[in-house]
Amino acid sequence: MSEKVRPSVDFDARAAKVLSQEPLLSAKEVEVTFSLRGNKLTAIRRASLDLYEGETLAIVGESGSGKSVFTKCFVGMLDKNGSITHGSIMYDGQDLTQLSEKEWLKIRGSRIAMVTQDPMTSLNPLKTVGKQIQESVELHQGLSGKAAKAETIRILEAVGIPEPERRYRQYPHEFSGGMRQRVVIAIAVACRPQILICDEPTTALDVTIQAQILDLIRKLQKEQNMTIIYITHDLGVVANVADRVAVMYAGQVIEIGMANEVFFDPWHPYTWALLSALPQLGVKGEKLPAIDGTPPNLFNKIVGDAFAPRNKHALNIDYLEEPPMYEVTATHQVKAWLRDPRAPHVDQPQAIRLLETQDGQSKGTDPNAYHPHLDPAREPLIEVKNMQVTFGTGRKKFVAVDDVNFTIYKGETFALVGESGSGKTTIGRALVRINPITGGEVYLHGEKINGKIPRELDTRVIRSCQMIFQDPMASLNERAKVDYIVSEGLINYHLYENEEDRREKVRKALEEVGLLPEFSSRFPHEFSGGQRQRIGIARALIMQPEFVVADEPISALDVSIRAQVLNLLNDLKKKRGLTYMFIAHDLSVVRFISDRIAVIHKGRIVELAEAEELFLHPLHPYTRALLSAVPNPNPYIERTKQLLVYDPSVHDYSADKPVWCEILPDHFVYGNQRELDGYRNELKL
Amino acid sequence: MPNNGKLKKEHQKTVQELETPEVNMHVDPEKLETDPHKERPFGREYLQARNKMPEKQLFSFAEYRAQDAERTGYSNYSYWKSVWANFLKKKSAVVLSVVFILLFIFTFIAPAIGKYDINMATDPQNRAYIEPNSEFWFGTNAIGQDYWAQVWYATRTSILLAVLVSIGQIALGVIIGLIWGYVRKLDRFFTELYNLIDNIPTIIYMTLIALMVGKSVVTMGIAMIGFGWLATARNVRNLVFMYRDREYNLASRCLGTKLGRILFRNIFPYLVSVIILRLALAIPGTIAYETTLTYLGLMDIMQPSLGMLLASARAVFPRAAYTLWFPAAIVSIITVTFYLVGNAFSDACDPRNHV
Repeated sequence: MSEKVRPSVDFDARAAKVLSQEPLLSAKEVEVTFSLRGNKLTAIRRASLDLYEGETLAIVGESGSGKSVFTKCFVGMLDKNGSITHGSIMYDGQDLTQLSEKEWLKIRGSRIAMVTQDPMTSLNPLKTVGKQIQESVELHQGLSGKAAKAETIRILEAVGIPEPERRYRQYPHEFSGGMRQRVVIAIAVACRPQILICDEPTTALDVTIQAQILDLIRKLQKEQNMTIIYITHDLGVVANVADRVAVMYAGQVIEIGMANEVFFDPWHPYTWALLSALPQLGVKGEKLPAIDGTPPNLFNKIVGDAFAPRNKHALNIDYLEEPPMYEVTATHQVKAWLRDPRAPHVDQPQAIRLLETQDGQSKGTDPNAYHPHLDPAREPLIEVKNMQVTFGTGRKKFVAVDDVNFTIYKGETFALVGESGSGKTTIGRALVRINPITGGEVYLHGEKINGKIPRELDTRVIRSCQMIFQDPMASLNERAKVDYIVSEGLINYHLYENEEDRREKVRKALEEVGLLPEFSSRFPHEFSGGQRQRIGIARALIMQPEFVVADEPISALDVSIRAQVLNLLNDLKKKRGLTYMFIAHDLSVVRFISDRIAVIHKGRIVELAEAEELFLHPLHPYTRALLSAVPNPNPYIERTKQLLVYDPSVHDYSADKPVWCEILPDHFVYGNQRELDGYRNELKL
Repeated sequence: MPNNGKLKKEHQKTVQELETPEVNMHVDPEKLETDPHKERPFGREYLQARNKMPEKQLFSFAEYRAQDAERTGYSNYSYWKSVWANFLKKKSAVVLSVVFILLFIFTFIAPAIGKYDINMATDPQNRAYIEPNSEFWFGTNAIGQDYWAQVWYATRTSILLAVLVSIGQIALGVIIGLIWGYVRKLDRFFTELYNLIDNIPTIIYMTLIALMVGKSVVTMGIAMIGFGWLATARNVRNLVFMYRDREYNLASRCLGTKLGRILFRNIFPYLVSVIILRLALAIPGTIAYETTLTYLGLMDIMQPSLGMLLASARAVFPRAAYTLWFPAAIVSIITVTFYLVGNAFSDACDPRNHV
């Protein structure tokens, strides 16, 4: 527990290198304002940042913190209604804020390039991938004809695209998400830029692909000696790539330092809160230290420290005056009054110590925690037998879920983990009967609930099975007031005596999820993601369900908000004895919240076990690959992790048919006899 | 790297300035929670009190209020208020809608202030086509009736017909379009029905109905509704596709919400701006259509309408040009008004145009 992890990166050497240089790019007191129909929004509030040659700087912050806008200033790509109203950005002897569009053309792309989040929107669907890269090569390297094509194919190969000759002639839709992102990176590096800005380059990708893309960027950085800025909200990515880390909040850089300084010795309460809220550091069964509330509205004038109202360590002065930058070390600065010599001493939270001393994976399980599936008198709530879901018919038939079996016991949290397109959401939706199933049976309390069922049972099933959706932006009706949204289920089944009773129920439901009762007369768009997600939870809970399908309820939320929602789900589970099916792609979250985990790949559950058991003895090669890719917030560990790649062709199911086998009590795995024997050997059975 | 020494010095100065005796912070907590829309979730008094704080107090912990944290970042917004405010910003549209309302009211007053009744006796020999003068303000028509009374009466009829027919068409089109778009099983049925009706020119249906059922304004009005919903329905159906599979609809299905309620509460509100625009454009459209039908002799000519006046004026143009100018001017006003007002209102309804 207590030994420090062996440093795998020498941050001190990198710090020395940074200190010995003049900055390559230096942004000073940059202020960016947007005008939105007469209102002024100050997105960047006099932020300063230096960038040094050859380094990788990560900018972390939640949505609206201004991290994207800030870096867009470095490539002159601010939206039309925004402008830099103060400050300077010095690069190569010129002030970037003063450049004309014509001068920008010489810098943007060829000196400073950018990779954006969604590869599909940055590629032209009507041109072949080869042509799009070649365009960039011709424009910036001055090559043409055969030479340009050869260079393009070389680049395709360099970014790890197999069969570059054939891929050259293909269109973006023929590429997978990860491959597309490689193409976008290829276009960006084709002109050999000095600075590459990656704006959430892996957010839209699966964890296994994410790790590959990060490796690719690292490799290219070494080859071309690029300076890279990563913009991300994912601390795992930061730990993986960054030499230096800048934390942004409400349009300002509030803490900046070498990665080891920011991760292990942070001094801004916001950084503390961000790190302690990581589910990886939580103890199962206990509350995560969450940050209350939401980021400030930048339309308003901000007095003092923007984080003050959410800061449990706020000083009186935080409400009055903006703190200056205090120096912790030569490379580490913090914008917090707590660093002032006059301020009272506050210790860093416990969780941050944990990050340094242990491997950052949730170790602890509360020894007294109750695990419903281990109870001898366990009661199956949901039973799924041979479930199959297909979409389309005839030749276009697509099997989304195939021969899936599992049982969810009353009171447990059952997690379903898989990558995008694995069919996990389809299973969740099939359980609440939004998607009809094409084969197999689903039982609730032993009663069959799929297919045609009597009306009375239908009502009962609707009332007892509810769902929480992934995207809080899309899952609430924007044109209805919160009052209607929350009471929709009540209205449908007339579950209230009179109007007053209904309002009372809505008020209680809102309070239960930590929202103020007066919110009921507002429209959803006034709320932040976390609040909207809680409205969605209130809507599901007002039906008094016993079983709730939570479909990636936190993946669309900001890091600071995630803990709030996780805590809320856990509280509600305790208070109401709920049973969850928690759908996720992120194993670290799942380990914190769930009792049992099922791993799904291409519509099939390949392994199902108790959470800690699965982490200790993963058997199926896919589970192992998934586990190896889990991002770790400790930079030393994250950088040494060995990535396993899952290749489905290792299975030879031609003669020996695979079966769903309980290899240990409550540990199921999918495999054929030969594989199962192998697993048994490993487990020394 | 920022110059820390300098910054620190500045701050020491400001803090020293703040050094005054300890401030007793007794602010009514009730007061602090009243208005979440203020710049900060506390009243001004509170800030002033804090401004007088001595340094020691400045650097001590402030009281943490979870509710304040929850409150950060709100705007005061109401959908219809914003629609209205945005609409009022378009001055031309506001002026034109006032003009139209006055025009419509005037169609009820005008026949009363005119010197002659709509049903005045005909006298084609002596009074046909008298140019506008002080006696006959708008002149007379072919059979010697006062054109003033005729024009205003026709305007009233046309506006009423156009408004009722348009509302009927749009309402029917929206209802069918919503079901067509949302219920997958009925998609095929409605598509075929649409093709069946749409592939034959409407004018043929109208001719058949006029000849077989009758040419009265009511019959033709119903017939116009009966064929006018098609375009709206298809438009609405295509829009419904955009919203049909959004998660909030899945949530409603999951909560057991009935089809009608999903359509009305979850989807219809998103289409308001398009529907308003279609409605606004349907009104001048219907007037033009009615003109066509009258010209083709498919409308009852006993009931004066703008279409009928225009049709008979064309026969004598340019000899009695005034018989064309008056109804044409009114049709133009109505068309332009509805086009601009419709556009303005539909823009105002679009939440993307709200702050």
